[in-house]
This record gives sequence, structure tokens and C-alpha cells, in this order.
Amino acid sequence: MDAFNNFLTGTVTLFSDPMGVLIFFSGVIGGMLFGAIPGVSMLTLAAILLPFTAHLSPEHGIMLFSVIYCTGVYGGAITAILFNIPGAPENAPTAFDGYPMTLKGQAGKAVGAAVMCSAIGGTVSCIIMMLATAPIANWAISAFGPPEIFALVFFGLAVASSVGARTFWKGWLSILAGLLIAVVGLDPVGGIERFDFEMPYLLAGIHFIPTILGFFAVSEIFAQAEKKARGSFIAPKMSVDFPSLAELLAHKWAVIRSIVIGFFCGILPGIGATLAAFMGYNEAVRWSKTPWEFGKGKLEGVISSETANNAATGAAMIPLLALGLPGGALTAMMVGVFQMHDMEPGPLVFINSADLVWVVFSAMFFANISILFIGYIETKTIINLLRIPFQYLAPMILLLATVGAYAVRGLTIDILVMFLAGVIGFFLRRSGYSVAGIVLGLILGKIGEQTFAQAMQMLHFEWSGFLDRPIALGLLIAGLVALLGSIYGAFFKKKRIQPPMA
Amino acid sequence: MGKLRIGHLVEAGIWLTLCLVLFIYTFEFDQEIEIYKYGASAWPRAIILLMAFAAIGQLIQQWQRGDESTSNFIVAATDDGAEEAHHSDLKWYLSTFGLLLIPFAYLRVPNWIVALLSAEGSTVHVIRIVCALILIGIFIYYMRRNLLGAMLTLPLIFAAMLEDIGFYSLAPFFIVGVMFMMGERKAKPMIMIAALIFSLLMLLFVKILYVGLPVGNIRPFYDIGSWVVTVLQ
Repeated sequence: MDAFNNFLTGTVTLFSDPMGVLIFFSGVIGGMLFGAIPGVSMLTLAAILLPFTAHLSPEHGIMLFSVIYCTGVYGGAITAILFNIPGAPENAPTAFDGYPMTLKGQAGKAVGAAVMCSAIGGTVSCIIMMLATAPIANWAISAFGPPEIFALVFFGLAVASSVGARTFWKGWLSILAGLLIAVVGLDPVGGIERFDFEMPYLLAGIHFIPTILGFFAVSEIFAQAEKKARGSFIAPKMSVDFPSLAELLAHKWAVIRSIVIGFFCGILPGIGATLAAFMGYNEAVRWSKTPWEFGKGKLEGVISSETANNAATGAAMIPLLALGLPGGALTAMMVGVFQMHDMEPGPLVFINSADLVWVVFSAMFFANISILFIGYIETKTIINLLRIPFQYLAPMILLLATVGAYAVRGLTIDILVMFLAGVIGFFLRRSGYSVAGIVLGLILGKIGEQTFAQAMQMLHFEWSGFLDRPIALGLLIAGLVALLGSIYGAFFKKKRIQPPMA
Repeated sequence: MGKLRIGHLVEAGIWLTLCLVLFIYTFEFDQEIEIYKYGASAWPRAIILLMAFAAIGQLIQQWQRGDESTSNFIVAATDDGAEEAHHSDLKWYLSTFGLLLIPFAYLRVPNWIVALLSAEGSTVHVIRIVCALILIGIFIYYMRRNLLGAMLTLPLIFAAMLEDIGFYSLAPFFIVGVMFMMGERKAKPMIMIAALIFSLLMLLFVKILYVGLPVGNIRPFYDIGSWVVTVLQ
């Protein structure tokens, strides 16, 4: 009941504050739009907004990002279904069956199911998040010291390195590159200057905002500049046709299965909504009695993919808020929002700023609900915005990023660093590295080194001290197993994992 | 040589050189910290060694299996590698590298010339403007042959010249430039959209949010920038 009362308080706080309401709706619509427009993603929007959250209160900043997360994951479903162009990677499996449904004249039904299942998946995941996060955080406060946090960071990076890049090695190199960028500047214990190359700019460390903007907003534009050829967007005449209760009940196992899969994918670091959608879809095919019907316009395909990707969103907030560990690029940016307000995400947030947590939770809940209504409007009207040619959007995004990078500290060199990160990100991405991995390394690197130093001082530099701390030991072993398993796989496994159906 | 290509060797070479250079540099700050046994350099060194290990592992894998993806199917949806074939020959990389040097030339060359001529006052401004024009000329000349490389370079040139010329004078040209690189060729929509984007940005950031953007150090650009700010605020 405690959670319910907190949720009510959070809701009242959220909707009694005009600024909060404004930010909430901007986030809902912005996330959906950027999720829908191919070539940009909710990460682009989040990167552009990141510097300006310094002017918002921490509540509003985190709330904005969490809302963008919820609706951004859904946004690309519409274009995936109507044009076979997923707005973002997490909607890619939606197109496998969604587009064939459009070809069969069932676009309305596919969109209706996507809207409905995104809302269901997101809302259920959100409710579990509300119930689970506070107890985990309470437990973490007593059970987690620096050795445990270090072990958790290690585990997170170990798991994250094995997904997202073209090979395990490239995933690993991406994360290590991020860790190395985090080293630049003063060392956390003695304040010694590292890798400053005698440049005063580097003394303060490479700021994460220009880096994130470069990797997510600028390199995205460069990638589009290379592709250029784009389809035309003429929305077919259609109406949104929500599935009936009977249809929904017929697919209840697909929905439940995808919620479970999506939720676990969301909790694990580095995996997130994209893999959730693929795994949800994959499992639906595997469990189906008629697997050959998938890929030809089966409603269950749309349902399982869209439920799973939204179910990952609430889950991803649990490690972030309860343990301070971001699992993906967007949650890593949320850590950035916290840091800009001199806060650290983690269990103490629940004690020091419980208001913030519950405003964010209720905002996520209502963002998922609002997918139902906005999904309807989007399909009818907002879809026309997709006709804006990308060459007009590109300079706008680049200039917004410029202003954002400059606004942080008023240094033009930050803009240069941002565009340089964009160029480097562009080359890394096309060689199969993971920019999300770099950002995760960059954000977790500082926490990792600091907690490692504290842990070592605490354990009097005896590594055997970890043996007395079961949680830390367990996490370190799990991380090592993940790493060694991937190394073994990279060297000895002959058969490559097949992509599903596509 | 297994499935190894020159590109793979270059890739591994870049990583390993980076590791070597950075590892040597760690001796610059290899200082003891009284309360911390491992000192300031242990953490970065561990990262660098792991990085070298991963780079070698990557090379071995490429030798065995080429560019094949061995990770998971997430890559199928997020990989940009498919486009690589169009812009992957050595000539393209060299020409892009050459283009990318232009913005950095602007950060250095004018200073050298100013020091050489021991110029002062408005002469410095003239030197910087002339350098900027020459470098932009070189950029436009090579742009036609390598549009993608030019697209990568253009924002860097914009950033490099921002301090001197200012956001207010440079942004309109930047907008038109980006649109051109992205494939727009008709003059009328370009100018109209550029005007629209520029006014929207000015309205939002200068008039409503009061973000101070660089006005530029060189006349007349400084005057233009200040004039825009005064009019809007």
C-alpha cells in the first residue's frame, strides 16, 4: 500500500505543477516523433536535450528522459508497420509481420495492436518497477559498499561488452575506449593530472556532454548523409483498429511471455529494448504451433515484439535508481542529468529525494498510458511530419547540438570536441563498434575507478577481502564467467548465431 | 593470410599504436599516492593492457572469419557496416583525412603567420579572414570529389571558425552547406529553409532562453553578432 500512496502523491505532484505537465507532454510527443523519424532516434533527442536539463530541476530532467524513453521505444512501430522502415532499431522485428499485414490491408489492426501492446507492456513493467525498486534500494543501502558497487560495475560492463557490437572483441574495445576517455583529467584519489598532454582543456577531463552529443546526434547525421536514398512517406488511408478483448485474450500467452522476456532484458545491463524486441519475437516463433506463418503478416509477431520492447523500459530503471548502475545509452544519459545537479543515482536517492523518484515513476506510468491516445493521433496526423525531408532536419539537429555543447561551459572547444566525437563515432559505427558501449564505459569508468580505490583501501589492499563479501564475489564471478564465456565463444564456437527470420 | 584484409591490419595497428603511445605516456604521471598503493597509473595501465589484448583477439578472429558478425542478432538491426563498400578504398580514406586537416589548419596556420609577420591590431584580423577564405576555397574545391568526406569536415570547420567569426554570421552558411551535402540542390528552398531554421533558433535561444552564443572576435563579424543580440533582446 505504501507504494500506492507514494504513487498517488507522485501523480498529484506531477500534474499540479504546470511546468511538470508541459515537460511531460513535450517528452511524450518528442519521444514518439524522434522514435518515428527514421535516421534519428530517441537517443538523438535525449542527447540534444541533455545540456539544457541543467536549467531544469532534477525531477523535471529525469522525468523528461524517462518519458522520452517510454514513448520513444514505441514511436518507431508506426513507420515499421506502414512503410517497413523501423524508426529505431528496437522496432525492427515489428516490421517482420507488421509490414506484411499492411500489404494485406490490415494496417489498422497491426497499428492498433502495436499501440495496445506497447501500452500494456510498458504499464505492467512500470508497475513491477514501482513495487520492486524501493525494496531493492533499501536492501542495497545496507548490503552495498564500495566493493559491491565496483563488482556491480564490472559485471555490468562484462555483460554489456558481449552485446551490441559486431563481435565480442569490438564490444569490449568500445567499452575500454570509454573507460579510457573517463581517465583523462584528475585522478580520483590523489588529484594527479592524467593524459592532459599539457593542454589546460583536458585537465578538467573530457566532458561527457559533447561526447554524447557527438556520438549520438552528430554521427547519426553523418550515417544518414552516407545513405541518403530514402523512401517516400505517403501514409495509406487507414484507421486505427484496436484489437478486441477476445483477440487480446487469444494472444495472452504471447503478451505475458514478451513481458517477462522484455523485463529481464531491461534489467540486464547493455541489453535493453532492442534485444528485448528481437528476443520477444524470436521466442514467439519458437513457441508457436504454426511458426511458418510468421513473417507473412501474423498479428502475434507485432504483439510479441512491441510488448517486449516497452516492457524493457520500466525494468531498466530498477538498476539505475536502486543501484546507480545504468544499463544502456539512455539510462547512462540519465546519470548525466543526475551529475549535472551534483547528485549520484543510487539507493540514497530514495532517502534524499523520494519525491523525485515517485514523480518519475508516475510520469512513466502515465506516459505508457498516453501511448494509447497519442498513438491514435500520431497515426492520423503526426505521421505527415515524416514528409519533412531529412536534408532540412539535419542542419537543425546539428545546430541544436552546437548550442547544447556550447551552453554547458561556454567553450567553443567543446563544440569542436563534439564534432570530432561525431566523426570518430561515424567511423567506429561503420566498423561495427558500439557507441553505446563507449558512452557506458565513459559514464561507468569514473564510478568504477572511484569505488575500486575505495574498496581497495577498505580491504587494506588484500584481494582476498572479496572472499568475505558474498555479493561482491558473486558479481565478480558472474562477470568473469560472462567474459570468459564470450572469449571462449569468440575463439572456439564455429557456428554463427543466425538472425531470426529476416 | 586467412580472411585478413589490409583494413583489418590498419584497424589493429591503430589500436595497438594508441595503446603503446598511451602506455608510454602513463609514465608522465606515474606518481605515488600516499594513501593509495596502486598510484595514479595502475587503473589506466590495466585498461590499456586489456585494450591491447582485445585488439589482438579481434585481429585473430578477423584472420579466422573475416568480417562476419559473431555477436548476436541485435547487430542486424543496428549495424551501419553495410554501407561501407561505397566508401572504403584507400583513396577515399586519404582524401577524407586530407579534408579533415583543413579545420585544424585554421586553428594553427593563422597564428604562425601572425607570429612570423609580428602583426598587430587589425592586420591580425585581415590575416585570419584571408586564411579562412583560402581554406574554405580549398574545401570547396575538394568537396565535389568527396561529398561524404566534406560532410564530415564541414561541422569541424564551422566549430574551428566559430570563435573568430561568431555563430550569428556563420550559422546561415553552415545550414546551407549541410543541406547541400545532404543532397539538396535547389537554391530557393535552401535559402528559405535556412532563413526559417536560423530565425527559429534565434527566437528560441537568444530571445526566449537568453543563451549567449559566440559573437566572434573579428570585425565586422563581431559587430554583426552584437547587432543581432541587441535587436533580439
